[in-house]
Amino acid sequence: MADRGRTGSGGGGGQGDVETAKKTRKPKYSRFSQQELPACKPVLTPGWVITTFISIGVVFIPIGLASLFASQRVTEIVHQYDIDCIPPEFSDDTVGFIKSDKTNKTCTRTITVPKQMKSPIYVYYQLNNFYQNHRRYVKNRDDKQLWSREDERSSQDCKPEAFTANGQPIVPCGLIAWSLFNDTYKFRVNDKALEVNKKGIAWSSDREHKFGSNVYPKNFQSGSLIGGAKLNSSIPLSEQEDLIVWMRPAALPTFRKLYGKIETDLEANDKINIVIENNYNTYSFGGKKKLVLSTTSWMGGRNDFLGLAYLTVGGLCLFLAISFILVYVLKPRPLGDPSYLSWNRNAAGILN
Amino acid sequence: MIMMKRFVYINDDQVSHELYCDNRISNRKYTILNFLPKNLWEQFSRFMNQYFLLIACLQLWPLITPVNPASTWGPLIFIFSVSATKEAWDDYNRYLSDKKANEKKVWIVKNGIKKQIKAQDIHVGSIIWLRENDEVPCDLVLLGSSDPQGLCYVETAALDGETDLKTRVVSSSCMGIDSELLHKIKGVIECPNPDKDIRRFDANLRLFPPFIDNDVCPLTIKNTILQTCYLRNTEWACGVAPFFSGNETKLGMSRGIPEPKLTAMDAMIDKLTGAIFIFQIVVVMVLGVAGNVWKDTEAKKLWYVEYPHEGPWFELLIIPLRFELLCSIMIPISIKVSLDLVKSLYAKFIDWDEKMVDEETSIASHATNTAISEDLGQVEYILTDKTGTLTENKMIFRRCCINGIFYGNDSGDALKDVELLNSIEAGSPDVIRFLTIMAICNTVIPVQSKSGAILYKAQSQDEDALVHAAAKLYMVFLNRNANILEIKFNSSSIQYELLETLEFTSDRKRMSVVVKDCKNGKIFLLSKGADESILPYAIAGQQTRAFVEAVEHYAQMGLRTLCLAWRELMNDEYREWSLSFKEASSALVDREWRLAEICQRIERDLQVLGVTAIEDRLQDGVPETIETLRKAGINFWMLTGDKQDTAIQIARLCNFISPEPKGQLLMINGKTEDEVRVSLERVLRTMRITTSEPKDVAFVVDGWALEIAVTRYRKAFTELAILSRTAICCRVTPSQKAQLVQLLKSCDYRTLAIGDGGNDVRMIQQADIGVGISGREGLQAARAADYSIGKFRFLRRLILVHGRYSYNRTAFLSQYSFYKSLVICFIQILFSFISGVSGTSLFNSISLMAYNVFYTSVPVLVSVLDKDLTEETVMQHPQILFYCQAGRLLNPSTFAGWFGRSLFHAIVVFTISIHSYAYEKSELEEVSLVALSGCIWLQAFVMTLETNSFTILQHIAIWGNLAAFYVINWIFSTIPSSGMYTIMFRLCREPSYWTAIFLTVAAGMGPIVALKYFRYTYRPSKINTLQQAERLGGPILSLGSIEPQARTIEREVSTLSIAQPKMRNPMYEPLLSDSPNSTRRSFGPGTPFDFFQPQTRLSAGYSRNCKDN
Repeated sequence: MADRGRTGSGGGGGQGDVETAKKTRKPKYSRFSQQELPACKPVLTPGWVITTFISIGVVFIPIGLASLFASQRVTEIVHQYDIDCIPPEFSDDTVGFIKSDKTNKTCTRTITVPKQMKSPIYVYYQLNNFYQNHRRYVKNRDDKQLWSREDERSSQDCKPEAFTANGQPIVPCGLIAWSLFNDTYKFRVNDKALEVNKKGIAWSSDREHKFGSNVYPKNFQSGSLIGGAKLNSSIPLSEQEDLIVWMRPAALPTFRKLYGKIETDLEANDKINIVIENNYNTYSFGGKKKLVLSTTSWMGGRNDFLGLAYLTVGGLCLFLAISFILVYVLKPRPLGDPSYLSWNRNAAGILN
Repeated sequence: MIMMKRFVYINDDQVSHELYCDNRISNRKYTILNFLPKNLWEQFSRFMNQYFLLIACLQLWPLITPVNPASTWGPLIFIFSVSATKEAWDDYNRYLSDKKANEKKVWIVKNGIKKQIKAQDIHVGSIIWLRENDEVPCDLVLLGSSDPQGLCYVETAALDGETDLKTRVVSSSCMGIDSELLHKIKGVIECPNPDKDIRRFDANLRLFPPFIDNDVCPLTIKNTILQTCYLRNTEWACGVAPFFSGNETKLGMSRGIPEPKLTAMDAMIDKLTGAIFIFQIVVVMVLGVAGNVWKDTEAKKLWYVEYPHEGPWFELLIIPLRFELLCSIMIPISIKVSLDLVKSLYAKFIDWDEKMVDEETSIASHATNTAISEDLGQVEYILTDKTGTLTENKMIFRRCCINGIFYGNDSGDALKDVELLNSIEAGSPDVIRFLTIMAICNTVIPVQSKSGAILYKAQSQDEDALVHAAAKLYMVFLNRNANILEIKFNSSSIQYELLETLEFTSDRKRMSVVVKDCKNGKIFLLSKGADESILPYAIAGQQTRAFVEAVEHYAQMGLRTLCLAWRELMNDEYREWSLSFKEASSALVDREWRLAEICQRIERDLQVLGVTAIEDRLQDGVPETIETLRKAGINFWMLTGDKQDTAIQIARLCNFISPEPKGQLLMINGKTEDEVRVSLERVLRTMRITTSEPKDVAFVVDGWALEIAVTRYRKAFTELAILSRTAICCRVTPSQKAQLVQLLKSCDYRTLAIGDGGNDVRMIQQADIGVGISGREGLQAARAADYSIGKFRFLRRLILVHGRYSYNRTAFLSQYSFYKSLVICFIQILFSFISGVSGTSLFNSISLMAYNVFYTSVPVLVSVLDKDLTEETVMQHPQILFYCQAGRLLNPSTFAGWFGRSLFHAIVVFTISIHSYAYEKSELEEVSLVALSGCIWLQAFVMTLETNSFTILQHIAIWGNLAAFYVINWIFSTIPSSGMYTIMFRLCREPSYWTAIFLTVAAGMGPIVALKYFRYTYRPSKINTLQQAERLGGPILSLGSIEPQARTIEREVSTLSIAQPKMRNPMYEPLLSDSPNSTRRSFGPGTPFDFFQPQTRLSAGYSRNCKDN
């Protein structure tokens, strides 16, 4: 054709230019540009799928059993005290009781250790229905101020607990710090005081890099509205471990925070006598307060969820695998049978 | 009609200077000053961008923003700067090319002196001096040329892609002016306002004394040279710049940014985006109300939140707005960028494809429009030109019939027919006259090359074939010297004086020349043209029956026919006629129409000499391509300017229609409205009956009947268009081609128009997808088209491979983009239920931003390498294209599948995170990172499950991304000031983190794998079946019915008889169909085709989703 073009209709002066212009740059061959990269094409064959499901089942059930076992081995004492610590005469006015300065908030409870508990035994307080994750609450803090003395006035996010009435900066500022939990517990076992170690309950990273060792509480809880606990203004923030623990907001409205560690073993049927200073107001919003003593395992505290979930998922996988096998045996269907291509089967040719 | 006129004074600076613009060309869209505002304005005119801007602005309000504003501003600014940079780069390149053109040096004549100036300084009325091989800087009216006859040759390749030289002639009043005098020429040109028609220029020239006289001299396009042409074979030429300069040149006017085409897929994505937007508004309103109620009932009791008793007036709006911001990620900000990116890659794949490079000319395929590749996979109708598209447009003279004697019937080549050679030798006058017409009744320019051989430069391939054939039959067209045509016959030279040329137009369908024999002074009219425009004007008494038969005979063989005729003119007759012809040719108004009328007056009483038959061979692979694409459910319409019989024959040769009894041709014809109506109704009736049986029914319509049908019986014709898989429209004009495209588009079909010549440009631009063949008729079509390919057969690969893959990939990519955004958004919504409906974000700003623009965007981009089936399988089973055509992979129901999956995954991730990280572990940052890791892991497995073929790049992207997620989070975990400080390290040390993640993966993927497996095995889609078959290896046998079509190319009179409706009531046996077709959309409610409803593609398309299983 090109040949004819030259002899026939002639190759004038311009033809050469046009020919080259027409020649689009012919690309270099590469497997990428030709979409010919070597590829493997996995297909969901029965063998492959059934094997996968069986192996998931086989792996998951032991893991589930192991974590369930670990969880069950954790001994946990949960004691709710918010209702019991209200004197009967205030049972109709719980909020009045907790807000009053004059009432005696000390309350003594006794619990029995059901099983032997090896140290370390963690002491938690658990709050229910407390929204640390509330939008107004969770961001109401100023990390710069907590770390460095120079930034004590940088507290824009802390309103309304940023400055005192006369404009002095509050350290630590914000609603989270202001509402610090202030119940305290004293333990006695068999009439012997039980030491609760409150050192090292906060994350060391927080102590070392988030809360300054030269930042001291200032103007804290000095306003008209008193929130939670007061802080000793002679101790730097990095050593206020209760505050540091509290200031890691929880993701759920039910949460536990570490109160301390008991570093002696507790025997079964030990009677623990707890003196509770019931100061913290959860009564306004109907929250519960619980005291939790718990040992630990490789999975952490007592939580059956993972174990049960693993067992369920593993079981379902096995069930699916077995039913796939049954269906495969009872109703075999060859893969890739061209007779299932409807344009072969159906002359009228309606796909589907 | 009042035409605006302009007067241009030649060589008179003062007058025209202020009036008209200079020759500065500007294609730029922006200037430095207006770039930023204009570009921003353009970008913000898109709804999506307005939406994101609103969200970003709302985020600046700290009271309501759940996250750092940077999480939206960052990506937004990134996306904007990417597209702004692209625009700026394009514009800069335009500026550079303009500058180059503007600063080109040209010679002008000013006050009688030649001097060189920049092209941009040319003024209207300047005289420009061109030398050989110069590019023409602006549209010119020719005043002089080195050629004594005032001819000059130009190459117009840049304008219309035609590479042959065209002659241009100096206007008659300037003819013969000495070049010295030309420098001082003065005059006035009267011309209409600029327009973009490159084939018309109706103006008059009047020279001022002392030049000649005051006669008005008509100017036509023949007297002009247009911008960007090249002057060839002419030593010099000079011309005056009329008003056509700068951006007002013909080329400048016809340039223009074409309307951006929107693919069906884009429209669907927009629709889904709209649906998600509405869903988002509903969610926001519900949560906003719930949030406000919770705030008033519960949150006021939470003393530690310290809600003020009296809020600001807009208090009620705060929570809904917070949720609006929280939910804004439902619409993925990255989708636009991702889509643009992959679309340009699809286009690159087309450009790069070695299998679509034409070996003969080494022209690669090219995607001019990078945005519409998906539409290729959804084509339903292909409208194709015939000549040059299906055929090679390589004309060879094969047969002829002179005075009822057939030549070339035995050998198939008249040039070797002994009988013909004998009669030439014998000097039979009819044969010689026949050859003379072949040789000189044309516009061919013979060029004597240095070696002495004669080269012909022809604008029409037919004329080229005829002149060559005549030369082989010893009638050599030697020279066209001004008005003297010199031919050599058997070593004797004959000269004719060319008196007039009656040009070919598509309306007249013939051309004639009036020549005077220089020997005896006799004047002849020589005509050639289509049979129907020659035979009716034959002289009374001549039997034209033989010619009609010859034409039919040839047409049935697929040959192109021309009738040749002549008449001797009396001197008086000619003189009288030539006066009115001159008058008509200088008319400013309706010149073409008036000329046609004048020509009609002389082209009568013709002596018909004979018929020539020219073969135009089919391109390689055309029948196979059409067969494959028809199997793929694509309907073909052939729109040609050729005559009916030729068109039908070509249609048969290329599998367009099957021979009886498999196929049936229905004719729509008639000259009057009533005839057309009756014929149309009859065809419709037949069509309705036969559509229930699988049968190839095609209708044939000619231009005249089509015009009536489309304008008068539009509804009936539309119905017919919907019912018919195949149509052949002959004798159609370019605008009718475009009209038909419009008609099919209005029925909501995706149309692809393919053509090669200037007459297809309108159809190509009109269609959803325009494909141009860079062929012999020039590049005009290829330039206007979205895709240009070298040969028709590449269309198969373009559609089945590139179109299909593009569709599948975009379907996955767009839906996945929504899926991943919805997952994270649903988690946020679920979290708001346990955070007091207060609009707290579970995730921090960094995670959210990285999730959208990095973690989830990179892996999905490699899905452009995914291939569900190999190219070979698709070619073997083109029917699989149905899934794309019917939009089976992206529609509301597949989208609902992805939506459900995202909800399911969000619930799985959320439940597992908050339960495994409960109580003493429920630290916000930790839970947030557990949930985010869960999402990322699930995404990796979803990608894995949905990928059909893994190349190394996919593995890198999917698993590398997962690793990158950990690396990035470890890096953030080392920065003390970030909220994530140490979190990722802590988590990675905890066994409960890993158990939670594996649980998330198993619980999230298990049901999806099981469902997919079940569907894949027990309810497989056709794609699945083929995938399985591919896996089994070996050839995939199609059972039975795709029988190889015994396609014997009958060279002789065919067995095809056309079922004329008037003949009989068609009763044929049903055909063994191998097509997946009859999936037509119903024409509308209440039409008689309701029995088609169960088969409509909509119901089929939405009944099951294929991707989500």
